[in-house]
Amino acid sequence: MKKISIDHLSRVEGNGGISAVIDGKKVTDVKFSIYEGPRLVERLTLGKTPEEDVNIVPRICAICTLSHKYAALRAMEKALSVKVPEKVSLFRELMHLGEMIESHSLHLYYLALPDYVGFPNAIAMASKFEFEVKIALEMKEFGNHIMKTASGRFIHGENPVIGGFGKYPSEEDLIWIKARAIQFMPFVYKTVSLFCELDYPDCPEEETIHVCCNPSKNEYGFAGDEIIISTGEIVPGEDYKSLTNEFIVSHSYAKHSLYKGKPYSVGALARISNLGERLKGESAKMYKKYFNERWKINPLFNNAAQALEIFYAFERIPEVINKMLKLPDPPIVEYKAQNGAGTGTVEAPRGLLIHSYAITDGLVSYTDIITPTAQNTEDVERYCYIAAQTLLDRGDEDKIRDRMDLVVRAYDPCISCSAHLAEVQKAPVDDWMTKLEEIKGKGSPVFVGIGNRDQADDGAGIELALRMKKWGMKDVFFEEEIEDKKSLWQNGDRPLVFLDAVNFKEDPGQVSVIPLVFILHNAGLSHRFLPFITATANYGQLKNSYVLGIQPASLEKGGEISEPVQMAIRKILEAIH
Amino acid sequence: MNKDKLKIGIYELTGCAGDALLILDCEKELIDIFKAADIQSFVMAKSDNIEGELDVAFVEGSVSTEKEVKEVRDIRKRAKVIVAIGICASFGGIQAAFLDRKDWKRNFKKIYGDLEMIHTKPVHSKPIDAYVKVDYYLPGCPIGKEQFLATFNRILRGNPPELYRFPVCVECKWNENDCLLNKGMPCLGPVTQAGCGSICINHNLPCVGCWGPVEGANFTSEFHLLREKGFDVDYIKKKMANFSGTGIADFLRKY
Repeated sequence: MKKISIDHLSRVEGNGGISAVIDGKKVTDVKFSIYEGPRLVERLTLGKTPEEDVNIVPRICAICTLSHKYAALRAMEKALSVKVPEKVSLFRELMHLGEMIESHSLHLYYLALPDYVGFPNAIAMASKFEFEVKIALEMKEFGNHIMKTASGRFIHGENPVIGGFGKYPSEEDLIWIKARAIQFMPFVYKTVSLFCELDYPDCPEEETIHVCCNPSKNEYGFAGDEIIISTGEIVPGEDYKSLTNEFIVSHSYAKHSLYKGKPYSVGALARISNLGERLKGESAKMYKKYFNERWKINPLFNNAAQALEIFYAFERIPEVINKMLKLPDPPIVEYKAQNGAGTGTVEAPRGLLIHSYAITDGLVSYTDIITPTAQNTEDVERYCYIAAQTLLDRGDEDKIRDRMDLVVRAYDPCISCSAHLAEVQKAPVDDWMTKLEEIKGKGSPVFVGIGNRDQADDGAGIELALRMKKWGMKDVFFEEEIEDKKSLWQNGDRPLVFLDAVNFKEDPGQVSVIPLVFILHNAGLSHRFLPFITATANYGQLKNSYVLGIQPASLEKGGEISEPVQMAIRKILEAIH
Repeated sequence: MNKDKLKIGIYELTGCAGDALLILDCEKELIDIFKAADIQSFVMAKSDNIEGELDVAFVEGSVSTEKEVKEVRDIRKRAKVIVAIGICASFGGIQAAFLDRKDWKRNFKKIYGDLEMIHTKPVHSKPIDAYVKVDYYLPGCPIGKEQFLATFNRILRGNPPELYRFPVCVECKWNENDCLLNKGMPCLGPVTQAGCGSICINHNLPCVGCWGPVEGANFTSEFHLLREKGFDVDYIKKKMANFSGTGIADFLRKY
């Protein structure tokens, strides 16, 4: 067994790592770990005033500081029935556009581009791409300037408050920002062509679900009270729990999320993929020129999507400022409400961000914060698995580490938000025995034999289950015995182990234990019974299920179970007993 | 790399990565920073990091896992000088607001349940000086660009950094603001370390105390002042504790 691991992901924001375990010809495990310590921010805000909450929560993350502020403000204002004047909404939009420019240009030029042009960092890259690095720095600085104008300083500014702003910029300041935005356009065009024309590798490519905010009036944008899913569904922000269903895993202080049992992605790519048709003006032309079906299935295109969004932001800034210039500076809206509940949904640069609060007697009594990286972790693991398995199949094992690094970085993970990067491991001989012991450690397992007894080795799972039953083992079932598929999942915290013949393209009789979710990610391996029964499972259950697979020699109709598979069955029985 | 240059490491423990990000935000000066010093390790900015002997280590974030306890001790062994950057490294930050260990444990359980973490055990958030000797402290949430560049420059030249040993009120007077306490607003300027340029008060908003307590902060006097303005005891204590971490522990034990 071999483990490929990147313990400290570099050029990402925060502390995390990714690892893959390789056993022969298959990847048996992928983990995206977040070492950033627990901060318990949600609990910290309890008992504080709404104003204090808005001071504290942006500290979750320095890069998305204003997105956290914005989401908290929207939630608090809903909870306290505060309606803000148009100028406040416009100034908040401007502030948010500044953050998009700052965050996207930092990620694209400093963090992502060095991989594609073969340098360890942006400063080293400056030797060859002096112009790009220099102007990109200026672009980022411009984003920072907007953030500073709106919030008071580069990071964690306190100017945006419930009901408005402490202070508004002068007309000269706004006109300067507008003029500067127009000056940047040639470089903005260059940014789009650079990142949309990069040669993105064709692996990993597989369908996913894209989720983002649904801005009102059928416009493109970074805030909205509804959530739109690429399946066509639209969910009100308040009902976010039906979407996210956060759960906890033991290798990370970031919570994981799944949509209807499936991993999903949020971020620039999700927004462009769901809302790209709504772009107007030059951004629409750029979108039509570059967007294609590959964007929907390849997470590496998140870089291209971020470049398009920079374009959108620069095109939008003059429009916002023109409107702002016509409106007077309103005083901060006062409020009297002492009780209420509200959910604020905005798009942070790296995806959907949700803040939900309840206020009781003027103090925060409930806080729930769902960050983009927490929602992306499952899909990051899934795409890293697909990348690793595909490269292994192609005989490119030495490329796995760098590719996983590329995938994780494309998601632009904000690890502070969710709570450094890649590792590839080789499994030891007979690793399945160790795995089986680990599973038993979690609770007494329930075994389910699946397969077709009339198709040679495909009957291995059923044969194994039969022999286990003969040995007097309880909690062993076969496929046919289970009438109500739901009942399978009603075993509390006990792990579920499916016994099956699985084609890993290895030597016949080879045994492996793999988490069920990986089998579901791998179309080549999936057994038709598995997708069917897993439809009724929830995430926790899915995560607590495994497949004990035996490599078949033949699946011929009417054939007998082969000698190597018989041997494997005997070995497994000994191990289980 | 040039042998004459000082070897520098920039590290992040648990926090928002704002201090490291602020260093990246020194757009115009960033290339000069990389030229003037030998940046051996800066995980957020580069991949080719070397973990060896260092002249100066800048450390941000609080110590919140057992892995970080080991990490900060290892940095101390390798570095001649440690500069704590930001309030998380200096005072434990917002996550150190649970001063009581039991309180922290209870809250951890509320969020993560009984789950055993497989990679590293969590510990109650503490500033880095709870584990190792710290040579200098740069306050801020996040640190200020001017203060960081000035400190970096002085250290590079072998001089000790000159820090602001006065509260926000001093800068606020330089900026000719009206005192918000006089207007009845709950401003924490008198007990908060200067260096931000009294930014909130410049925006007509009261200081929230995010740069952490100033050396010798008179919390008792601020407490009575806010009492006189009509704020209730609980509100004042919570407000003062938001960003002060371990810096306010003595005061809270008394009151």
